[in-house]
Amino acid sequence: MGETTLVSGQAVIKISGLCKSYKKKLAVDTVALTVKRGEIYGLIGPDGAGKSSLMKTIAGVMSFEQGSLEVFDVNVDSEAAAEKIKGRLGFMPQGLGLNLYGDLSVEENIDFFAQLRQVSPQQLAERKEKLLTMTWLDKFRDRPMKNLSGGMKQKLGLICTLIHEPELVILDEPTTGVDPISRRNFWAILAELLREHGITALISTAYMDEAARFHRLSLMFNGQILTSGEPDVICQQAQGYLVQLTAEPQLEALKLLKVRYPQIETIGSRIRVFVNNISPDEALKAVSGQLIGVEIKNIQVFDTYLEDAFINLLRKDPLADQSIKEAIIPCFDNPLPDNQGIAIEAKQLTRDFGKFRSVDHINFSVRQGEIFGLLGANGAGKTTAIKMLTGILPPSSGEGTVAGADMRFAGQLIKERIGYMSQAFSLYHDLTVMENIRLYASIYGINRKIIKQRLAWVMQIAGLAGVSGQLAGSLPMGIRQRLALGCALVHQPVVLFLDEPTSGVDPVGRRHFWDILVHLARVEHVAILVTTHYMSEAERCDHLALMHAGRVIADDSPANMIQALQNEAGQMLKITTDSPSEALSCLEQANIKGSGLYGRHIQLLALDTETVENQIRVLLEKHSIKLISLEARPPTLEDVFVYRVLELENRDQA
Amino acid sequence: MNRSALLLWLDRIIAMTIKELKQLIRDPVLLLIIAYFFTADVYMAASGVTLNLHNAPIMVIDHNHSSASRELIYRFREPYFDFKGEISNKNEAENLLNTGKIVAVLDIPENFQSFLFQGKQAAVQFQVDTSNTTLGTLASGYATEITNDFGQDFVNKRLGLTDEQMDAAPVIQNRYRVLYNPNRIDSWFMSISELMTVITMLSMMLPAAAAVREKERGTIEQLAVSPLSSLQILLPKVISMGLVILLGVAFCLFVIIIPVFHLPIKGSIGLFFAITALYVFSASGIGLFIATISHTLAEVTLLVILLLFPLVLLSGAWTPPEAMPPVIRWVMTISPLYYYTEMSNAILLKGAGINIIWGSLTGLTALGGIFFFFGVWRFRRQFG
Amino acid sequence: MNLTRVWAVAYKEWREILRDRLFFTMAFMLPTVIFLLLGYGISFDVEKIPFAALDQDRTAMSRDFLHRFIDSRYFDYKGDVSSDRYLDPLLAHSDIRFAIIIPPRFQERLLAGQSASVQSLIDGVFPYRAEVAKGYVSAIIANFNAQSLARHFGAQLGISREQALIQVSPVRLESRYLYNQALRSQWSMSSGLVMLVLMVTPPFLTALGVVREKENGSIYNIYASSITRSEFLLGKFLTYLLISCLNILILWWLVIKIFGTPFKGDPIFFYAASVIYVICTAGAGLLVSLVVRTQVAAVMLTLVISFVPAWLFSGLLVPIQSMPSAPKIESHLFPTLYYLRITWGSFLKGLGWAELWFDVAALILYAIILWVIAFLNFHKRPAE
Repeated sequence: MGETTLVSGQAVIKISGLCKSYKKKLAVDTVALTVKRGEIYGLIGPDGAGKSSLMKTIAGVMSFEQGSLEVFDVNVDSEAAAEKIKGRLGFMPQGLGLNLYGDLSVEENIDFFAQLRQVSPQQLAERKEKLLTMTWLDKFRDRPMKNLSGGMKQKLGLICTLIHEPELVILDEPTTGVDPISRRNFWAILAELLREHGITALISTAYMDEAARFHRLSLMFNGQILTSGEPDVICQQAQGYLVQLTAEPQLEALKLLKVRYPQIETIGSRIRVFVNNISPDEALKAVSGQLIGVEIKNIQVFDTYLEDAFINLLRKDPLADQSIKEAIIPCFDNPLPDNQGIAIEAKQLTRDFGKFRSVDHINFSVRQGEIFGLLGANGAGKTTAIKMLTGILPPSSGEGTVAGADMRFAGQLIKERIGYMSQAFSLYHDLTVMENIRLYASIYGINRKIIKQRLAWVMQIAGLAGVSGQLAGSLPMGIRQRLALGCALVHQPVVLFLDEPTSGVDPVGRRHFWDILVHLARVEHVAILVTTHYMSEAERCDHLALMHAGRVIADDSPANMIQALQNEAGQMLKITTDSPSEALSCLEQANIKGSGLYGRHIQLLALDTETVENQIRVLLEKHSIKLISLEARPPTLEDVFVYRVLELENRDQA
Repeated sequence: MNRSALLLWLDRIIAMTIKELKQLIRDPVLLLIIAYFFTADVYMAASGVTLNLHNAPIMVIDHNHSSASRELIYRFREPYFDFKGEISNKNEAENLLNTGKIVAVLDIPENFQSFLFQGKQAAVQFQVDTSNTTLGTLASGYATEITNDFGQDFVNKRLGLTDEQMDAAPVIQNRYRVLYNPNRIDSWFMSISELMTVITMLSMMLPAAAAVREKERGTIEQLAVSPLSSLQILLPKVISMGLVILLGVAFCLFVIIIPVFHLPIKGSIGLFFAITALYVFSASGIGLFIATISHTLAEVTLLVILLLFPLVLLSGAWTPPEAMPPVIRWVMTISPLYYYTEMSNAILLKGAGINIIWGSLTGLTALGGIFFFFGVWRFRRQFG
Repeated sequence: MNLTRVWAVAYKEWREILRDRLFFTMAFMLPTVIFLLLGYGISFDVEKIPFAALDQDRTAMSRDFLHRFIDSRYFDYKGDVSSDRYLDPLLAHSDIRFAIIIPPRFQERLLAGQSASVQSLIDGVFPYRAEVAKGYVSAIIANFNAQSLARHFGAQLGISREQALIQVSPVRLESRYLYNQALRSQWSMSSGLVMLVLMVTPPFLTALGVVREKENGSIYNIYASSITRSEFLLGKFLTYLLISCLNILILWWLVIKIFGTPFKGDPIFFYAASVIYVICTAGAGLLVSLVVRTQVAAVMLTLVISFVPAWLFSGLLVPIQSMPSAPKIESHLFPTLYYLRITWGSFLKGLGWAELWFDVAALILYAIILWVIAFLNFHKRPAE
């Protein structure tokens, strides 16, 4: 962010040589870290890297063995010392609203945190209104927390953590499971608090696009910090470029590229390769040179995203490199055959909870071998729709077919043919990874002769080899999600329902996860219904349905959705200035609609790009704000999501 | 159901049972508590604790101080009474009775001995604390018996009657025989009753807790989309917890009750374990039913407690069932513990076989079946 | 101590309880229902002992003797048998608990001034019942003997029956029942049950409080905020204490209104002592919640520390005086013993501070120790 001036030199957190271990396992290994006042500091790293342990230690809710930890210049070396800092900080643990009280309403939860933190009633009323409005939770203030969707719980958790306006907030994956719009809101809230109160934040995240919003960040792996610095600097450390291409035949191209470039992925017909080269031209040349005998249709070079940098940096660590090489298995992306039968069909499905209509006459169909994505803001009714189709929840009206059987009559038959992964981890915490999988293998009646082989297949496909003997409860969220997928796959179902399967999973894990899904769909012809808040994942679906307030408001392929938006609202303008927030208020005053702060940039959709561009140039000049760059690009799926949902939100409110 | 379907059914039950056992093992504190119940708890209840009044502390106000009064006082001793000494006045007596230091005061009048020798009837006062009516009545009963015996002996001595001559008097010689526990050893009764209480607690609580935990943790969702039937989800909880309980019972019986308290096993141990298994099944059924109407373990606990205490205390395991009010006695017939208490005592102490207990056995089986299938039915309605 | 934060936690607990309808209802219903059921149902009175007779004499005198049993409220006549072969199965099957066998020539011998022996068989499974039953039999026979002897000596010595009766029983014991003249067992039982109910219900309300927050992670809110350990524990406790304090009043009212038990003591004293007792019992639940890791273990441990002391070591069921030293010491380790003295003292004996200060002091000490342990066991910065 541009407001670097706020980052004063004063250190809020000072750590050196910190070690924390559970029994024999070292979770945090001689970590040194300094966070300055007014800074938004990020912690990224794969699942189980020790981020959560480190954050708990800093928050003073867990003791450590070695090293020194200073927060607000207090040496936190005892329980009594830790008490001194707690009034000035806010801590939000990992997990979807696990620290909230399920039976209490949204408002009661907030009130409790406020009272606990001795916020005066006037301040409470003021802040509560502001935060509830910002997070769109104001309509749900009387709803019991347990009836909120996962993302809404996260938002509530955030409000509860911020209600006493702490000087330092420690947030462990606060945006996991939160939809793109709410995530933007979240960052807006944080940015505002930063501006108003000079708040300091330590945040971990699994969304790499968010990592760009940090002032500085540290990359953790295996309990250690691999590298620290500003996002751009870390990106540069990756020293490489991203080459995106389409080639025919794709399989051949993949084979050829994989020999030299392990960091490779496929998105539909496109192949994306990370190349360690000094210049874009060299990168282009190197990739083209590799593809002998393959027809290259389209090839472009991009700067690396943080996500690629992240993976690339991890590869520098031999241990991590090993796990990445194991993880990334690019798979053959053959087109979806047209002749496949219908695997899932929803006809006028409706579900009411009391007066509240959660799902409102939805219709869609998923073919065998298709990956169908269900998108929508938190609380749009995605989970309810899935629960009805899996038979957990009886519909209020409407009907559906799953795996060739009517869900109203053939419950048992359907259950044997489907796999399901729920939003909240619903396996046994007190069983080990292997025990959980074995249990489900037995439940689904896997033949004893093939059980060993099947277990090995699940362990491999879900990437659980190293952790088979660990208790599920002790695993970080990302690995738990993989275990849940493993259990859902153990009987090789023909239809798979996945409710936010990658929430909280790190980028490496997510790519791997999607490689599995694509493989299952294309090779095993499994029909997959998946919900996600990662738009990069949504792009990999064959078909998308966008839900809003219980209804399906758009139903098309990702490319068509983007095209439709471009036809309707035009291109995305990305404006980079030296003081983004001032520029934004200028634009708002000038009534240029739809603009929003995104990282250091301002973005807005414009049909007539040239006119708007000129308008902006003039405006900024008038306010003597330096325009660094202004470029137009086609809208992304995230833009589609934000635009469509906001459009309806605004209409509803009007 | 064909053969492979049956095998699949069994496989699922076995897998789920193993899962439950593993989860239990992962909670060492719980295991320790279960072990405590079957060992130290039963031991404590059975060693030295008695429902009978022994060594009741009494004091005496002796206005007479004669050989006769001393002779009478001497008879107020073990096993029933414990003579704590003399006091001089009623105020002091009242204080001691108030604070519960003594249970009764024996007040011997001044003219006690002279009345006896004059052939008049001497009245001795016995002030007894009946704030606990049971103990008060017992103490008073024992005191009466002691005084009567004293009088009888005094008369006999005065008339110069010897014991042989008493045969020649028109009196009934009471020859009583206490059956099944001739020496009235309390630890036999206490250990069996406490063991049955423990079995009841655990059978109601453990499967119910295992079932509601699936709900609280959300793991029920994953089971609900699997092809498991309600029975296949619930039965393994009963089987696994039942196994643990039976193991505990065996341990308690062979390591505590038989070697330490020398309980003679008159009947068939196999039959006892069979009916114990049946009882665990019935009590679990009640627990499972509770689990289906609860959302949290806290709710389960309160509901279990609500049923547990009346069940344990009103089924004849601790109190003589005959004296209970008719309504309660009627309600008792739907308590599985009532039948189980009868049967275990019959088998263990009386050596009864199946021919004797079949009536209770039918009752227990019927109740168990009803409770269990009602629980499964409720569960199915929630998740089916 | 910051009261806002205490209030925050207490109010949150209160809202949570209010939301959980079942839990809320049970928090008040549980003590009342258990109290009423046990109050009506529990009785240690040995009455209506089912018995059968084998009358081998069948004369006027044998029938007269038999009728002393049949007419007694202590016995419940189930019928005659024609041979002693039939008695064993009846006893084994628990159809009868007692049998009396009158020998042939019973009347003939007695009229001839000879003794006759009557055999009584008593079911000894429940030693207490056997003991008491034996006492009843002895008393009936003693009474019969006295009359028979009086008749005999009266005729021999030429004195009146009444005089002869005095001659054969020269000492009369006059029992004076203190505190409960009419020997209403419901008076002692109902007031004593206040102790039992307040021991077994409050800890279950608190036992899950902290362990549930630990299991689901909301404890981090507490860890991460500046609320002190004692503020949190107090806040966590207040709501449940309030509920239990209300329950004291409800139970008190029921004891007086439903069971007609008099309250003779000092109401303020009794209420204060009861609140201290509830602080002990509910506090024990909270302590359990702090030391265990899973909810199930918390519930089971609470059963261990509440039911056994309330039932076996309080003095309600088992006379403490009759215990050998080891269990006697154990019983002094639980608060139930002291509080039972306070209840009976207040209801039936009309005592107050002056007489019961020691028991109150014991409860206060108990509460202090409990809370110190609880405080020391709770950390806001644990290792895991």
